[in-house]
Amino acid sequence: MTSPVIRIANVHKMLGGRPILNGIDLEIYEGETMVIMGGSGCGKSTLLRTLIGLLTPEKGSVLIFDQDMASASEHEKNEIRKKFGMLFQGAALFNSLSVGENVALPLKEHTRLDPDIIKIIVKVKLELVGLTGFENFMPYQISGGMKKRVALARAIALDPKIIFYDEPGAGLDPITASMIDHLIMDLSKKLGITSVVVTHEMKSAFRIADRVAVLHKGKVVAFGTSSEIENSENPYVRQFINGEIDGPVSFRETKENYLKEILGDDFDER
Amino acid sequence: MTGMLSFFGLIGRKTHLFFAEIARLQEIIQSFLYWALVAPVAGRRGLQREAFSRQLAFTGSDSFPIIALVTASIGAVLTLQAAYQLKQFGALIYTGGLVSVSMTRELGPVVTAIVIAGRVGASITAELGTMKVQEEVDALTTMGIPPVAYLVVPRILAIAIALPCLTMLGNVIGMFGGYVVGTLGLGINSSLYIQGSFNALVQKDILTGLVKSVVFSLLVGFIAVHEGFSVKGGAEGVGQATTRSVVLSIITIIVADCLLTAIFYYLFP
Repeated sequence: MTSPVIRIANVHKMLGGRPILNGIDLEIYEGETMVIMGGSGCGKSTLLRTLIGLLTPEKGSVLIFDQDMASASEHEKNEIRKKFGMLFQGAALFNSLSVGENVALPLKEHTRLDPDIIKIIVKVKLELVGLTGFENFMPYQISGGMKKRVALARAIALDPKIIFYDEPGAGLDPITASMIDHLIMDLSKKLGITSVVVTHEMKSAFRIADRVAVLHKGKVVAFGTSSEIENSENPYVRQFINGEIDGPVSFRETKENYLKEILGDDFDER
Repeated sequence: MTGMLSFFGLIGRKTHLFFAEIARLQEIIQSFLYWALVAPVAGRRGLQREAFSRQLAFTGSDSFPIIALVTASIGAVLTLQAAYQLKQFGALIYTGGLVSVSMTRELGPVVTAIVIAGRVGASITAELGTMKVQEEVDALTTMGIPPVAYLVVPRILAIAIALPCLTMLGNVIGMFGGYVVGTLGLGINSSLYIQGSFNALVQKDILTGLVKSVVFSLLVGFIAVHEGFSVKGGAEGVGQATTRSVVLSIITIIVADCLLTAIFYYLFP
């Protein structure tokens, strides 16, 4: 571990008038696998969308390779985005393009490489995710796990230094999910890629993480290596890991909380 | 009292929503202008040739059979209806002129635009809406590919080129439909019908129709794209947006037609 490649400092973000991120500070180092964990609505997806520049925070900075994503212009953002890849929860493959064309898209868009060379690169990338010879399949012809792997091949097409993963195991069976986890670990070890994984799946999180950050109500409540978090005394972390109903997060909401949530949601709709 | 309040609240909220939508539309148009006109010249990013030609084929040549069928039928109906009235004055010979002028000035552009709004506009909205829902639009952004440049520019350019072309073809086919009915069905002399058709037609008629169809094409294109990008929440949202896109397109086509006709009538007599 050398210098941080991602530096998140005091990030605040409101959505629909409600604060979602309340001052997040996080440093992610080169080559490590950082898992961002937390319950539904804790702000982890918002944090990820802020990191990749789909959302702009009201306050704070998001430095990726020392360039601030939060204050960059759209053109500068696009330049930064070429340096990282992103695996979306639903794979987000383009349905009108074949598997090969999907992987080739970033190469076609951002490089002036010969079509033959692009073809070779696509083949190599698909081989890395274990899908040799699938170039001509259409996305609707392959399974969910395969789609994720194609999306991963597409994310690494430009040889990024960082990959962001949004719930990599969501919607997959345990075996396929663990296969994806192994791919993530493989990529970060073989290619030295920094990985940022957002998930709420304990097993997968502790399997792949070098370090874990636990988010709750838009704040980092616990932070450390995966064994530190596993043995954490923090009551919220304990409740989250063990999946208990009683704890700091109450399942049974008070009337005020309930009303607030309803009115808050109503406000959001507007 | 609460009823009043909620009533005003509703008006306020709708107005707010309306302006928010206008602002989003303006944003799309601005970035379209940038990626379609400025960026290729500045060397930032060329036109997507492949996507553009695919869209052009889909909007243009694939739509041609429907346009031909519809405009031919309209030409035929117009001839019959005109003849029904003109016969009473013994002016059957003017049928050709009436059909050609109303086809080129009015019916050709409007009917073609409405068919394209239903066929192409709806498909653009549904496609972009689905892409939005499935995070494909976000994926493009994250790959550093501007969605407007990649998705919107080829579609709008295709529609802006194809619709005026289809309109011109539709005009000719409509007139031909009228000619077939006029000569075979009503027994008007063939050469007299043709002569009548072209004598009545002046260049301004054709130009008027052309300007209208260009305006309609932009209306259909931008409404379809805007509705597609505004989709929220799954398949239902896509369906609703598609309906809204078609209905809104047809309404704005007719209103714009009204305005343009008035402008041409008063400003360019």
